[in-house]
Amino acid sequence: MTDSADLIVIGAGPAGLAAASLASKHNLSIMLLDEQAAPGGQIYRNIEHNVTHESEICAILGAEYAYGAALAETCRASDVTYTPGATVWRIDPDGGVAYSVDGAAHTAKGRRIILATGALERPVPIPGWTLPGVMTAGAAQTLLKSSAMLPSGRVVVAGAGPLAMLVTLQLIDAGADIAALLETTRKRDYFSNAMLLPGAMAGQDYLRRGMAMRRAIRASGVPIYGGVTELEARGDGQVSSVRGRSGGERLTFEIDTLLLHDGVVPNIQATRQVGCEHEWYDPQRYWRPVRDSWGTTSIDTITVAGDGAGISGARAAEYLGQLAALDAACRLDKINMADRDSAARPIRSAMQPHTAIRPLLDGIFSPSFTTPHGDDTIVCRCEEVTAGEIRTAVAQGVMGPNQIKSFTRCGMGPCQGRNCGLTVAELIADVQGVPVSDVGYFRLRPPIKPVTLGELAAMDFSETDS
Amino acid sequence: MFGAAIAYGLSRAGVDTLMLDGHDNNLRAARGNFGLVWVQSKGKGLQRYADWSRESARLWSGFAAELTDITGVSIAHRNDGGMMLLLGDEEVEKRKIEIAEMSKQSGATGYDCEIITHADIQAYFPDIKLGKAVTGASFCPHDGDVNPLKLLRAMHSGFVNSGGRYKSRCTVNNIDHANGVFTANTQQGQFSAPKIILAAGHGISHLAESVGIDAPIRPQRGQVLITERIQQALPIPLNGVRQTDEGGFQFGSSEEDIGFDDGTSLDVVQNIASRAVQSFPQLSTVRLVRNWGCVRVLTPDKCAIYEESISHPGAYVATSHSGVTLAAINARLVSKWIATGEQPTDFNHFSASRFHVQAT
Repeated sequence: MTDSADLIVIGAGPAGLAAASLASKHNLSIMLLDEQAAPGGQIYRNIEHNVTHESEICAILGAEYAYGAALAETCRASDVTYTPGATVWRIDPDGGVAYSVDGAAHTAKGRRIILATGALERPVPIPGWTLPGVMTAGAAQTLLKSSAMLPSGRVVVAGAGPLAMLVTLQLIDAGADIAALLETTRKRDYFSNAMLLPGAMAGQDYLRRGMAMRRAIRASGVPIYGGVTELEARGDGQVSSVRGRSGGERLTFEIDTLLLHDGVVPNIQATRQVGCEHEWYDPQRYWRPVRDSWGTTSIDTITVAGDGAGISGARAAEYLGQLAALDAACRLDKINMADRDSAARPIRSAMQPHTAIRPLLDGIFSPSFTTPHGDDTIVCRCEEVTAGEIRTAVAQGVMGPNQIKSFTRCGMGPCQGRNCGLTVAELIADVQGVPVSDVGYFRLRPPIKPVTLGELAAMDFSETDS
Repeated sequence: MFGAAIAYGLSRAGVDTLMLDGHDNNLRAARGNFGLVWVQSKGKGLQRYADWSRESARLWSGFAAELTDITGVSIAHRNDGGMMLLLGDEEVEKRKIEIAEMSKQSGATGYDCEIITHADIQAYFPDIKLGKAVTGASFCPHDGDVNPLKLLRAMHSGFVNSGGRYKSRCTVNNIDHANGVFTANTQQGQFSAPKIILAAGHGISHLAESVGIDAPIRPQRGQVLITERIQQALPIPLNGVRQTDEGGFQFGSSEEDIGFDDGTSLDVVQNIASRAVQSFPQLSTVRLVRNWGCVRVLTPDKCAIYEESISHPGAYVATSHSGVTLAAINARLVSKWIATGEQPTDFNHFSASRFHVQAT
């Protein structure tokens, strides 16, 4: 059956929760679809359970995490029709959405759609990154939030970005055995971005917290190495060591788990699949949807909010969700433009400190692993395609990512290029000597998440009103 | 597919050949097709085309072996026959009529295609249970399939290995002709040669016009579904269902006349999925990984056009939506025709002039 609503919000992280809650105040009928079992997104994952039952975990995750409880509560208390466990696998420009819950496919039709699908961790294609025992720092944090689990044995965290530091500290507090934090960020990355400092002062809280985290990690006795290069995971069927170089020093750590992180990038699977225009954001080397000041994309019915629109963090995501909601209310004739604009003014000024810090963070933590050095490193995990295979194909004249996909199967697996799309574009740009923005990206086809043939066959398109 | 096959054949024959290709995001039928080397549905109304398709199917084994030999790319060619599954008595009756018509048309050559029963079909597929809805199939021993992406890649690499030159991101804007030399004007400059072959799919029509050939081509969308990899269970391909050498099941035979939109639509996807599950019920738990649309390059009678321009000798048009089936014969006979002028028998049947017969 096809349910219909004024507004379909996809994703129940800070942007989606805030958007749905505010939009419901303007008498819009709202469907909120989210893949997880409970609201919160990645940042506030499992927040409802943890605040009531896991005070220890909440203490480790800190006040910034606990903040999310109110967002979830407000949304629960609203008139929003919230469907957890809903995996959206197709979006259409006319407001159509197809999703699955418990093995049954459903369709819905919204007059507008707000996509709040958040961020993904950037792939870190170093030698050995596909070995068992290597995972992302974000995945380790997810385990901590969702099931209070710690990575096993001796752990090294390696890479760049605020999350690497945060996860290191949280794991130390939770009692994990952390051997070291290997940062690829160099001292000069801090100095060379100093000119961005004045602009970032409104967000100085972030800087203060960053410095405090660094001190706390050092105080716990875990060493931090800066400017690490030549990072490599080694092991026979399972990671057993990590190597690198810091300054003149060769580093080797015997480990059981390696956590990698190189920042986060917008999750653009949905905006690509539906056909929104995208632009290349060079400081952080990622694609983001082209959007107006409310988040509305090149497709008039579709608005993006939160990190999916460009990385700006959890607090900004909440405000961006509210702006998207106001614009939806206006476009659906619930408020006029003057009311929309005046309601937006305090939201925009509250958001300012949270976005002001971004240029500085983006400059300091520029990604380190965009192009694999060796030819043997795997780029596409699903189809096991190496950097060398891609370089060879490009050298033979292959013109872009989609031809690469059909010639090498890179990006053709179940993840639909989520894990390799950026790396492939960087490799092509590198070999051809052109900017990544000229190379483009995979053409994304539905379903953006796998769905069974039986579910498809059983779909019922008759319409109902929700 | 047409361009790559002909260019491959030319460069193998030692002809200095330059292949100009467009951009990554152009409409590319060659990247979206199904992979059937198919005879049983070809040539209704034009027997020369039915024969041509069968002849290509016959050349295919040697062609596949040669490609693998010189490029190292194994393209998973099979030629053990193929079936069109029929669901319900109505489909069986309709197919019987078509077979009778084709048998009549083909005369002495014969139309090697017969209706087989549910039990006959099941015997071909011991590893997967056939759905009750399947009431029969038409079986043709000349049918087969290939991995179309590997085929395209192998032809490109075979072309380059044999000395061919390939230029991508090089859309041809127009063609000049002077003193027996054709010049292709592209965004990357001008390229000249005494002969020029237009095999640019949907891009052909306006280029063909400039060399005096009217190539009426229309778009028709087909949608395709591919699943996750599962154990091999389909040793021969079916029209609209085949299992790739990697293990994915591929479905689709939809036909939509909606212009150059290569998107997908849920209603068609559901129809295809529903037919798939009726044909093989145990596939209902298998996950779809990707669903794409692709725009077929169709002539008015769905048969190929091969023509050398009368007003501009040395300019050729070669096109059809059966790029995979005809890859072998394009690489062999068509490239030979272009290189030496040696025409295959009754080749004038493929001239686009057949679409301009005066009404009487």
